[in-house]
Amino acid sequence: MTSTLNGITLKGSAELVADFFSFGINSILYQRGIYPPETFSRVTHYDMSLQLTTDPKLKNYLTNVVSQLKEWLFECTVQKFVLVITCLETNEVLERWQFDIDCDKSAKESSAPREKSIKIIQDEIRSVIRQITATVTFLPLLETPCAFDLLVYTDKDLMVPDKWEASGPQIIDQSEEVRLRSFTTSIHKVNSMVAYKRTDSV
Amino acid sequence: MDLEDDTSVLTTLKSFNSFISHTEAPQRLSEGSAGSGNLQSQYKRSMELLEAGERVHSNNRYLQLDEEKKQMELSHKRARYELEKVASDSARDLEHEVDRNQDLLGRLKKFQERETEAAKNLSEQVEANRALRKNMEGLNRKLEERDTRLNTANQTISSLKDDIRELTQRIQNQDSTTSSQTLENQELQEQKHQEVSQLCQSLQAAQSSCSEHIVKIKELERRLALQEQDIAIVKTVKSEVAKVPNLEKDLKRLREDNAFLRKPEDLSREVIHIQQREIALKEQNYTLSSRVRSAERSQNEHRAELCQQRSKTLEEQKKRETQDSLVRRLQKRVLLLTKERDGMRAILESYDSELAPTEYSPQLNKRLREAEDILQKTQSHNVEMEAQLTKSQEETGTLKLQLQTVELELESLKKHQASAADSNTSGTKEELNILRQKIEDLESERQRLEEQNNILEMRLERHILQEDQLLLTRGLEPLGCTPTALQNNMFSSQDLRKRLFIKISVLQIAGHQKEKSLRYNLHLDSSMVPFIALGTEGDYDPIKTRVLHFKMNPTTVAKQQRQQDIDALREEVTRLSELVRSLQEGGAMVQGDSSINASLSLPPSKEVVDLRKQMESLELRNQRLKEVFQRKIQEFRTVCYVLTGYQIDITTENQYRLTSVYAEQMDDSLLFKKEEIESQGQLIKTYSQLTVNLLTTERWRERKECMEEG
Repeated sequence: MTSTLNGITLKGSAELVADFFSFGINSILYQRGIYPPETFSRVTHYDMSLQLTTDPKLKNYLTNVVSQLKEWLFECTVQKFVLVITCLETNEVLERWQFDIDCDKSAKESSAPREKSIKIIQDEIRSVIRQITATVTFLPLLETPCAFDLLVYTDKDLMVPDKWEASGPQIIDQSEEVRLRSFTTSIHKVNSMVAYKRTDSV
Repeated sequence: MDLEDDTSVLTTLKSFNSFISHTEAPQRLSEGSAGSGNLQSQYKRSMELLEAGERVHSNNRYLQLDEEKKQMELSHKRARYELEKVASDSARDLEHEVDRNQDLLGRLKKFQERETEAAKNLSEQVEANRALRKNMEGLNRKLEERDTRLNTANQTISSLKDDIRELTQRIQNQDSTTSSQTLENQELQEQKHQEVSQLCQSLQAAQSSCSEHIVKIKELERRLALQEQDIAIVKTVKSEVAKVPNLEKDLKRLREDNAFLRKPEDLSREVIHIQQREIALKEQNYTLSSRVRSAERSQNEHRAELCQQRSKTLEEQKKRETQDSLVRRLQKRVLLLTKERDGMRAILESYDSELAPTEYSPQLNKRLREAEDILQKTQSHNVEMEAQLTKSQEETGTLKLQLQTVELELESLKKHQASAADSNTSGTKEELNILRQKIEDLESERQRLEEQNNILEMRLERHILQEDQLLLTRGLEPLGCTPTALQNNMFSSQDLRKRLFIKISVLQIAGHQKEKSLRYNLHLDSSMVPFIALGTEGDYDPIKTRVLHFKMNPTTVAKQQRQQDIDALREEVTRLSELVRSLQEGGAMVQGDSSINASLSLPPSKEVVDLRKQMESLELRNQRLKEVFQRKIQEFRTVCYVLTGYQIDITTENQYRLTSVYAEQMDDSLLFKKEEIESQGQLIKTYSQLTVNLLTTERWRERKECMEEG
């Protein structure tokens, strides 16, 4: 495990980033109220208390996606990871959480671990998740029943696994964008951003 | 007294003792005397004793009575003393009570005085209350008046607020219209610039295509030269081929000639030579024919290419014409926009002249100048672009001329080629194929590169727009984010000024943007298209990136669930509507359609069940009553008929038939009609009675007669 060593390997970096996505997605779902709060349970991770879902179907889906994402992160073939929130009545995209991933491909060739303290990485991740929680203050209320989807931007020549299919980018037409903090494991760099549909309220 | 009593008792005791001693003495004395005198002395003694005893007794009695008297006196005194005490006590009490009474009387008087005073006070206060009530009423009236005034004021306030709202809405509408107009202006400028850029692109493409045409034309010229060579070769070969039969004839003659003269070895050698020559000639012939066919094919293909190129040139001519017209339109639009800009500047200047100079004016002036500079630059750039356009048009004109000359040459060559049918070599064919493949590859590459270029341009524009928005926001901070400084005076005019400055900055930024886009358009090499991660939301390069998602993702699952819910709800709605319809129809046919009701699975409510039971019971009762009534009335009628001898039947609505037992014939009857309800009924009754009586009397008479007869 990378926690016992000071160096970060490609595999360890992929695991860290995948963990961040797993907890990040859960906290976004909790904060935005996509699923009822009573289906979440509190856990401690990154030295802070986070919400994790207990719904078995959702858990299964998230583990499938995150495990595949971990593989792709190890292969350095993933470019973006997007969470899209759609309104069920109008099929409009209301919110779009985009995480841009920059992978240092030289880490693939050399197996020497990079020196970056895991504590620092965890601090950076914690600040990003805190920012995600703070976005609730300015994001518009999701009043209609909504559902979410996870999109992955990969290289075109990648083989599409069985349970996955191609999709559109699902962009919002008139959006307001807010850039959040980024964190880096010295092999993978993750930039976070949220775009939401402009509410035309007078 | 006691002492006296004691002394009296003591005295009595003493006297008694003394008496006794006396008596004893005499007794003693007497004893010494004679006996006869004893009895008398004894009697005397006894009588003396008795008397003494009586005296003692009476003394005792007397003493007792004295004691009693003294006791009585004592008791009297005590009683008197006590009575006096009591009297004194009672006197004191009396005095006390008298005092108290006096006090109470005094108090009573005081209280009565107080009462009177209180009554006076009450009356005064009542009067005061009345006065206060009157005052209160007056104040209430005043309050009501004030309330009404307040209500009217509130109404006016609300109406004024509505007016204010309307005015703000109008202002907002006007703002929106101005912003939309600015946006339109921006869009027009962008369109113009886009068109200009497109023109540049088309010009470049035309240039490239023209250069390609030139290259192709040169190649075709080379091919034509080669073909001419081939034609010459073919001609020589043909001539040789034509010579072949002559040679064969000569061979035959020679063979015939030499059949006699030469040895078979020489003959064979000569034959072999000749055969070899034949084989070589045949091979040449074969190759020549194949070359001829390939040349024909290449000719046809060249013709087709020429037609395509002609059509392309025509299309390019048309495009150029349309582009010219667009350029003219854009020039007109530019003029209009410049006029608008001038007008807005004039308004700004007017506002500047009205308002006092504030902190922001130098900055705004600077910006104005900068905007003007940029506009001038863009204008000059546009002029340059127009010059380039004209140059390119001229070049295309020259190219057209070249094309036409080349076409003429090609036609002439075609004619030559049509005459010489077998002159091409396989090498030219291969070269042509290779060239064709190269052309196709280049065209495909060009298309791809064009697509990439377009995508990149879109992304660049979006990026530039983002930057411009950021610039706008930054540019607006000193203007708009300090409302307190600007709200002091002339709010509306400063607002307008703000908007005008915003427009100017927008135009300035649009100029920047167009410059950048033009530069990018001109300098972007289509062969170098790196994947630029612009960071704008959702953008990706479809050539190198793919977007994937899980098939069974929550959105699709939720949509499916929603669809299923909707379908289920629709089915339920149709079912319920059918149920309602059947219930409405089946209200009349409750008994018969129990099957339908059961199939519709509405559980019958308790009330319905109870009501049904009640209904059934009532119907049964009704039926039983009917049966009973029928029986009874039948009985009654028969009894009446039997007893009275008359039967009344109802024939129709108001008609009654009376038949008698004693009628001579079955059909004999009296008919009665009921015309009116009460009065006529009575008449009819009396009338009928009369008739009945008449009848009976008649019958009796008849019977009597019969009886008399019989």
